Amino acid sequence: MEASSEPPLDAKSEVTNQLVDFQWKLGMAVSSDTCRSLKYPYVAVMLKVADHSGQVKTKCFEMTIPQFQNFYRQFKEIAAVIETV
Amino acid sequence: MLLELSEEHKEHLAFLPQVDSAVVAEFGRIAVEFLRRGTNPKIYEGAARKLNVSSDTVQHGVEGLTYLLTESSKLMISELDFQDSVFVLGFSEELNKLLLQLYLDNRKEIRTILSELAPSLPSYHNLEWRLDVQLASRSLRQQIKPAVTIKLHLNQNGDHNTRVLQTDPATLLHLVQQLEQALEEMKTNHCRRVVRNIKTTKK
Repeated sequence: MEASSEPPLDAKSEVTNQLVDFQWKLGMAVSSDTCRSLKYPYVAVMLKVADHSGQVKTKCFEMTIPQFQNFYRQFKEIAAVIETV
Repeated sequence: MLLELSEEHKEHLAFLPQVDSAVVAEFGRIAVEFLRRGTNPKIYEGAARKLNVSSDTVQHGVEGLTYLLTESSKLMISELDFQDSVFVLGFSEELNKLLLQLYLDNRKEIRTILSELAPSLPSYHNLEWRLDVQLASRSLRQQIKPAVTIKLHLNQNGDHNTRVLQTDPATLLHLVQQLEQALEEMKTNHCRRVVRNIKTTKK
C-alpha cells in the first residue's frame, strides 16, 4: 500500500502559529517629550512567530512592572496546571 | 492654448455627428461616469445594438469624447480655445455647443478626479520621543545602554499611521546633522534663485 502524500495533520501548526523566539529586555525611561525627568522601568518583549506557511512575523510590546508581574503570574499558573495533568 | 487632436482621435470623434444630440449627451454622461467609477464594456454593446453599429465604434466614440474632456480639463483651456479646438472637426453648430456645455459642466469634477491620480506620500503629523536606558536583556545582564524610542505619527490619504522606531544617541545625532544640512541647502544661491522664480510665477 502506498503511503498518503499528505503530511499528517499536526493539530498545533494548522490552527495556531508557532513561537520561534522570545527576546526580552529591561529598560528605564529617563526622559520624554512630555516629561523631562522620568524614572520609569519597563519590560520590552520581542516575539518571533511563524505561521503555517513558514512566514515569520515579529511582534514587540512593552509592559510596566505591575503588568509584567501579572504576565509572570499567568505563566506560573500555566506551569502549575501542567503539573496536575 | 489650442488642443491638438491626433488623426486617430478625430476619426473616433467623427462618429458623434452621425447620431442624435441626445445620444451625444448620453455618451457624455457615460464618459464622466466611467471617469468616476471605471469603464463597463457591457454599456458599449447595449448602445451598439440600439444604434446599429459595431461596439468598437461606440467604444471609440465614448473614449474619444472622454479624452477630449480630460485633456481640456487637465489644461483648463478657455471657452474660446475649446471652441476653436473643436471647430477643426467640422461639426454642426449645435454639436459644438453641446460639446462646450459638456466641458463646462463637468470640468470641475474631472479636475478633482484627475488630482487624485497624483501619488501621495505619507506626511508628518506628530513625533513623540523617549530616552531609555537598557539595563538588562535575555543575553546580557548589568548593562547601561542608552537608546531613543520614537513614535512617528503620519497622515496618508486621510488615514493615520504610526511607526515606532528605536536608535542609539550617536545615530540620532547623525540624523539631526543630516536634516540640518538639508535645511542649510535652502540658503545656497541655487536654491534661493529657484524659490524666487517660483514666488514670482505663482501669481
